[in-house]
Amino acid sequence: MSATIIDIRDLTKTYGKDRGIEGVNLEVEEGEIFGFIGPNGSGKSTTIRVLLNLIFPSAGNAKIMGLDVVRDSKKIRSRTGYVPSDANLYPHMDIGEFLDYCLGFYQTHEGEKRISELSELFELDRKRKISDLSMGNRKKVSIIQSLLHNPELLILDEPTMGLDPLMQARFFELLRTENRKGMTVFFSSHTLSEVQLLCRRVAIIKEGRIIRVEDIETLRKRQLRKISIEFDGQTDKELPGLQGIEDIPLITGSTMQFMYSGDINDLIAKLRGKKIIDMTIEEPSLEEIFMHYYN
Amino acid sequence: MNKNLFLRELKGNAFSLLIWTIVITTLISVTMSVYGTFLENNSKILAMISILPEGALQFKGISNIDDLFSVLGFYTANNVIYMLVLGSIYAIVLSSNILLKEEYNKTAEFLLTWPLTRSEVFNSKAAVVFLNVVLLNLVTALAGFISMEIAQREPYSVNAFLILSLYTLLLNLFFGAVGLFMSTLVKRAKPITTLSIGLVLILYFIHTLSKITDSLSKLGYISPFKYVNVDTLNPEYRLEFRNLLYFTAVSLLLIFLSYRLYKRKDVYL
Repeated sequence: MSATIIDIRDLTKTYGKDRGIEGVNLEVEEGEIFGFIGPNGSGKSTTIRVLLNLIFPSAGNAKIMGLDVVRDSKKIRSRTGYVPSDANLYPHMDIGEFLDYCLGFYQTHEGEKRISELSELFELDRKRKISDLSMGNRKKVSIIQSLLHNPELLILDEPTMGLDPLMQARFFELLRTENRKGMTVFFSSHTLSEVQLLCRRVAIIKEGRIIRVEDIETLRKRQLRKISIEFDGQTDKELPGLQGIEDIPLITGSTMQFMYSGDINDLIAKLRGKKIIDMTIEEPSLEEIFMHYYN
Repeated sequence: MNKNLFLRELKGNAFSLLIWTIVITTLISVTMSVYGTFLENNSKILAMISILPEGALQFKGISNIDDLFSVLGFYTANNVIYMLVLGSIYAIVLSSNILLKEEYNKTAEFLLTWPLTRSEVFNSKAAVVFLNVVLLNLVTALAGFISMEIAQREPYSVNAFLILSLYTLLLNLFFGAVGLFMSTLVKRAKPITTLSIGLVLILYFIHTLSKITDSLSKLGYISPFKYVNVDTLNPEYRLEFRNLLYFTAVSLLLIFLSYRLYKRKDVYL
């Protein structure tokens, strides 16, 4: 059984009028690529910033590799890499200078070699000035600085923002390779499709609360169906009360649409005697399943 | 303290230190170079100065016109603005930005996620502030000393000059501590350069006002300039314990509070 590398217990962070996170509980196992999805402002970055001790929890606690994120933050950071969503590097430095500066904080003998390998992979000229770099190139530098000390855990906050598709593919391949060597990846994104490409498990965060932690496959295979019924005349007013209807049905004229997780025979029985023009039962896309949790 | 961060900050702030040092040194040297001419034309200058309002003289730290005819009095009067005010502005601008710039430039997302404690970040950056302030004071005081040695016509008290230089250093370090403290109070990171410069100028203005207006004399106590004794020609001139205690205690208290606040500060980016 794998050890827990990230262990978040009842974590709450509130600040002023802005909503933070509330009662977040989450466990990430060592060696997995874990997805953390939610729309902008849902609390993803707040959770990550507490993990990195950029901000302090209002209540609850979090541990990384068994170490407390507040008390042992330096020890944690020496074994963790982080790619922030914005790559705001020091503009007066050149790439090589920035990476050497970063390397100076780690006790590693292979840093130089690692920088060369990664710079080559991402086709970066280390002599270039940071102020002249595009967002995509700054992101590449940010990725390199997160990996130069061979971290055990890599925390990514919207890491593909600004990367072109080719570099994105190389980056994903690099993550898979590092993961095979043992590195755990905590991948935060608002795009389910990219999380789906890499991750085995995913946590969905909504309005500062974790609403579901699930295997990607389970999420896909859940007996959730997208039902659309076109009635002859008015829609059935009693139908929304049926157990298994997961959301408030969307009614457009005489058509009713909803997500259904109950027994299909119960639905058919309920519709007995109703005049129906058309009815479709579909497997929803992963994106629709995701959106369903938000609605 | 972290050596890597300390050296990087030292390098990053070297150019600004160089510029400030050149500017203040040039101002001191140029001012002192006119001392000879000043003495030769004393009657004309006296007539000119005597028509100035008392406030204008006090603003430059001149309480007795006759003091201007000794090299130390001339140096003291003319360099109050350069060293006390400009030096303090340098110290507060540097210190109020050194921590905060990582937040408003959003580079804290790197620096504070590398293996460093908040204490190491604070100590390394505070050390750079105080070292730069000491270096600025050393070079400019040396420039003042050389200028006086060249310009002097009669002996002056080197001891009084050293005490004035020490007062200047204490005041500049004090504003260094004020800047650090102010920056740790800022919640949503943005530069506070204007506020910092404004604070130095307002405190200097309050000090001047309290000297020329009897009814406002008590107000002067809120200004640190009040605790800098510039009466260098007074035979009793010395580093007063009360003033030394004020600068040391308040500066240390502000540094301690800044350290505690920064260690628990939420860094919003």
